[in-house]
Amino acid sequence: MTPWEEFLVQTRRSFLTSTAGGIGLLALASMLREDRLLAEEAYLDRRINPLAPRPGHFPGKAKNCICIYLEGGPSQLDLFDPKPKLNELHGQKLPESLVKNVRFAFIQKDTATIMGSPRKFTKHGQCGMELSDYLPHLATCVDDICLVRSMWTEAFNHHPGQLLMNTGSTQFGRPSMGSWLVYGLGSESRNLPGYVVLTAGRGTSGGTSNWSSGFLPTSYAGVLFRNQGEPVLNLNNPPGLTRGMQEKTIAALRDLNQLHGGVARDPEIQSRIAAYELAFRMQAAAPELLDFSNETKETLEMYGLFRNDDGTSSRGGGRGVYHSFALNCLLARRLVERGVRFVSIFHASWDHHSNLDKELAFNCKMADQPIAALLKDLKRRGLLDSTLVIWLSEFGRTPLGENRPGFTSVSGRDHHPFAFSIWLAGGGIKGGQVIGKTDELGWNVVEDPIHVHDLHATILHLFGFDHTKLTYRFQGRDFRLTDIGGRVITKMLA
Amino acid sequence: MRMLVLSWLWGLGLLLAWASAQSPKEAPSRAREASAIQFERDIQPIFAKHCLSCHGPRKAKGGLRLDHPDLAFKGGNSGPVIVPGDSRKSRLIRVVDGSDPDLKMPEGGKPLSQEEIAKLRAWIDQGAHWPKPAAGPTALRSDHWAYQPIRRPAIPAVKNTAWVRNPIDAFVLARLEQEGIAPSPEADRLTLLRRVSLDLTGLPPTLEEIEAFLRDSSSEAYERAVDRLLNSPHYGERWARHWLDLARYADSDGYEKDLGRPWAWRWRNWVIDALNQDKPFDQFVIEQLAGDLLPNASIEQKVATGFHRNTLTNREGGVDQEQFRVEAVVDRVNTTFAVFFGTTMNCCQCHDHKYDPFTQREFYQIFAFFNNDQEVDIPAPMPGEEEALRPKLAAHERQRQELLQALEKRRQELRQQLGNWEAQLTDAARSKLPANVQAVLQTPPASRTEAQTQVLLDHLAASDATLVALNKKLQAHDRNKPTVTHAQTLRLGQLRKTHVLIRGDFLRPGAEVQPGTPAVLHPFQPKHNPPNRLDLAEWIVDPANPLTPRVTVNWIWQRYFGRGIVPTVNDFGTQGEKPSHPELLDWLASEFIRQGWSLKKLHRLIVTSATYRQSSAYRPELEQRDPYNALLARQNRLRLEAEVIRDNALAVSGLLVRRIGGPSVRPPQPPGISELTYAGSARWVESTGPDRYRRGLYIWFQRTSPYPTLVLFDAPDSNVCCMKRERSNTPLQSLTLLNDVVFVECAQAFGKQWAERPGELRDRLRLAFRTALTREPTASELSRLETLWHEFVAEAERDPKASEVLLGQYRPANVPLPQAVAWVGVARVLLNLDEFITRE
Repeated sequence: MTPWEEFLVQTRRSFLTSTAGGIGLLALASMLREDRLLAEEAYLDRRINPLAPRPGHFPGKAKNCICIYLEGGPSQLDLFDPKPKLNELHGQKLPESLVKNVRFAFIQKDTATIMGSPRKFTKHGQCGMELSDYLPHLATCVDDICLVRSMWTEAFNHHPGQLLMNTGSTQFGRPSMGSWLVYGLGSESRNLPGYVVLTAGRGTSGGTSNWSSGFLPTSYAGVLFRNQGEPVLNLNNPPGLTRGMQEKTIAALRDLNQLHGGVARDPEIQSRIAAYELAFRMQAAAPELLDFSNETKETLEMYGLFRNDDGTSSRGGGRGVYHSFALNCLLARRLVERGVRFVSIFHASWDHHSNLDKELAFNCKMADQPIAALLKDLKRRGLLDSTLVIWLSEFGRTPLGENRPGFTSVSGRDHHPFAFSIWLAGGGIKGGQVIGKTDELGWNVVEDPIHVHDLHATILHLFGFDHTKLTYRFQGRDFRLTDIGGRVITKMLA
Repeated sequence: MRMLVLSWLWGLGLLLAWASAQSPKEAPSRAREASAIQFERDIQPIFAKHCLSCHGPRKAKGGLRLDHPDLAFKGGNSGPVIVPGDSRKSRLIRVVDGSDPDLKMPEGGKPLSQEEIAKLRAWIDQGAHWPKPAAGPTALRSDHWAYQPIRRPAIPAVKNTAWVRNPIDAFVLARLEQEGIAPSPEADRLTLLRRVSLDLTGLPPTLEEIEAFLRDSSSEAYERAVDRLLNSPHYGERWARHWLDLARYADSDGYEKDLGRPWAWRWRNWVIDALNQDKPFDQFVIEQLAGDLLPNASIEQKVATGFHRNTLTNREGGVDQEQFRVEAVVDRVNTTFAVFFGTTMNCCQCHDHKYDPFTQREFYQIFAFFNNDQEVDIPAPMPGEEEALRPKLAAHERQRQELLQALEKRRQELRQQLGNWEAQLTDAARSKLPANVQAVLQTPPASRTEAQTQVLLDHLAASDATLVALNKKLQAHDRNKPTVTHAQTLRLGQLRKTHVLIRGDFLRPGAEVQPGTPAVLHPFQPKHNPPNRLDLAEWIVDPANPLTPRVTVNWIWQRYFGRGIVPTVNDFGTQGEKPSHPELLDWLASEFIRQGWSLKKLHRLIVTSATYRQSSAYRPELEQRDPYNALLARQNRLRLEAEVIRDNALAVSGLLVRRIGGPSVRPPQPPGISELTYAGSARWVESTGPDRYRRGLYIWFQRTSPYPTLVLFDAPDSNVCCMKRERSNTPLQSLTLLNDVVFVECAQAFGKQWAERPGELRDRLRLAFRTALTREPTASELSRLETLWHEFVAEAERDPKASEVLLGQYRPANVPLPQAVAWVGVARVLLNLDEFITRE
């Protein structure tokens, strides 16, 4: 069993029998009702509950977001942006004019040559979107997808690139997209954090800086649901502490805090009491989230929960990563159903400097089916209209093969920030369309260039925000997700 | 009539200018003959009308000022704009006549008339004669309060003189009396003891300290406690942590692989020592900014420069090293101005400051001070370390010699086996050998040179398991050579030219600049040529500096009241908030300098004031009038910082290891945290023994996966200077205090202490409460705890076997199991109280 499966069995058992770890849900619910622990007005008071829901600048179509972040820079040329010309010119040098002023991470300019793609691209859906044969499942969803082939960024190293894509700046210390949205809108979930992060396989090079709240209060940071041990850090009570003891503890804490509150008269004490109560509710709600007994077998199979990887690659996270990734996609839907505002799914690494065909195949086999299942599942439950799904990475890959010194053969591509692909679906996005074009080599954008700030501006718009007005004052300046740029791409909107 | 003549003249000028453009060689001389342009009459009015509002003494956009010839001919950030004698090469003309595709001037204003443009052209072509004014350029001026000199205000008179303990109180009370608000009564003695202990050392008073304080009935008891705390080595730890926030201290690189910095702590040690010795603040600053440049700099003074080694580093494959070198220098400028000037210089990396009187050019003039630095790690042994190292080095060398001998012995054996090997070589095997080996084998053994034999030996050696193993062992041995502690420092390297970077882009250098300081601030009188970091440091702690003393006393004040006299501690500019008590701020700043920049004296002054000693009880009647308690009619309740919360739990439970200084430690953290980083490069090897129980400021700070408790309780991310921490309140904090292994262990140890104590239950509960919260419990609090204790006993009696686990490794001797469990339950509640994590 993978750690995840072990964990599932264990948490389900504890949930059903209402012992060990958290308090049983029913018991807790009745306890809260009896004690009226958290009054409605307290819940809606931002001073007491920083996640209290509040409206945006105008009504937005999107209510929740699932951001699938595939770290490393998946090759758009082998997935989304067919370039037959590359196959024609395979092995030839690029014109001097294109590469003259370009910096590469690893490519040696003098000897680099164009690399074709062995992928077969075919048209799909009513819209006739072209996708590669590595994405057979996503191909069945194209009419819901807005594919952007004209993204560009100025960062061409991983960590700065990830920071730009996730926080709007290549520098450390800025709040991530999810933090901005939860800061702006609060969360509808009373029992779970407003911003949840799921990871599968090995970590990203950005680590927690990709879901940090930066200079925003910690309440708006992404909360990692872990894939080993407890789902939320410190969720379970210490071993040996019975349910009865925990109830008595809660009651004593509340009484003693209230007693002191009578003397200090500080509203902050009410806020502390509220935080403890939320914590207790989370202790019950988080295990419930992982109890899949009410999911049908068909659903679980649709997500590919029972697949196992063939062990042909260890880069993408090793054994068990197919299962973990599928689980994360299913969990994302369940989190959204429970009102969580922003769910991030991270997977590393798609950084294919060499052995691209095989490694990309391995990763696509992992990700394609669960992602398509997520889109379909959201749709049939009527959640897709209000749930924005985004598929992102920090940049794309070069049309040139990578000839890094020391490589015995050319079998991969280097980082390419000037033109790459991403897609969006649901949440007010107009599906079944392709935005933007690149030149015949896929080197530069020739139509509808979309910068990271533009993407962020559009995402905020979908949630009902004017990106220039969602600001936070820090070190004497009003900061925003889009820094000093960004424009809403109206073509994307339904 | 005059107008007519003038316009006729200008018509002529226009013609002449055109002519000059046609034949540049002769035209200027002719033009001078025909109509000499007079600067004051013809050009100055044009500048005044169109240019000076942006390119004058109040603002110098793009680094350009057209109000004085010295500056005007120097040009802007991208270089000169006037080329005397050649209007076609002058950028000034191109931006006003529309021939520059990127820039049109005046920006957003009415364009110049053809006539005005012609005048400018003619003036330049005639040699751009600009009579030298008697005076130099006027300095950039600002009326903003923060840039005015610090004056020592008179201490105001108050009615309630009995309340005033020192001048701070007179300033605060004068304002309160003005508003008709009475100050709050003094907090009770034990609350006061706890408050000042937490503020000065970050640790709660021990039971013994509480008893001693209660026994001291003299009027000086509190002051005596303050002196004891200021002399405690924990004072240095507490205030070092504040300084670390400003200095963005961390134990790792930041970007991508986020490699560890094994010597970062050495600078932290320096800070702790400097504060404990009460090194005067001016010296404290000079050594950190330029310790290496002091005459005969000591190792410790060099160690101090580690302040600016806390910048981020990117070692990702394929990055442009120059880009990240520039980023580090930019951060040094920004941090210097944030910490000492409360100024957001960041804006000026790309453009002139939008609100404050700082220009992009000035940014790069400061940049120039840091642009020549090299990052070097120098040996910086701790006291006694070298002596202790000597025998270790000797042992290491002995082992090394043994390895070398073994290697040599094996080589000799191979040499003897050479003939045998060659004899047994089949043709097939021979053909598979490397070409150079085959070549040697062509020569008969007897006539081979030593070099040829060596080729064969090398070949054999490469495939000899014994030799390979020995070589590996030797390499590992050399890697593990014992070494003294090192320190990360800055050192002056080769001088680089510094340019304004257009839009902050390191690939777009503009005009060259020299090291210098912003014009709006006090005069800069460097002693070196070119001016260096030491000049900069001395300029910063010049008593004439209007900002550094104010900014410093303000952030220190903030630590005591939760809010600065200037609430925007990091922004003293025009966008920041105004001081609530401007005279108090100036008095404190001047007093700080007068007391020889002594931090301890400043702390003592603040904590012995009546203002500081007030009760923190909330006053609902003032909520509308003074919602942020800016007037200080009471103290503020402050949630403790992340590190201090953990320190307190460890201290109360008796687990805290009070050793001062040393390398960073890795206490237990839940699994899966460091795995979030790239390729697990930040592997968390848990510390063993006492290092698990060290204070929070010693916890290894891994930038891409910081210790979770620190993050949850708002410790800064340590990427940029942090002058003010958030104080959030989240359910994840509750879960941490309830269930995190460290806090559970504290509850177990704390519970064991009281379970083993003899005495009545209520007495023990009372003392446990006092240990955790310093004060006496009220009767209802005590009863509530007693109820809880009995409830836990009952719960534990139901299933003693299961609840035994709750004791962990802290099973008290000779105590019935249910009672032992009940004490853990009580301890856990005490450690989770709002009051426990609050400074009242």
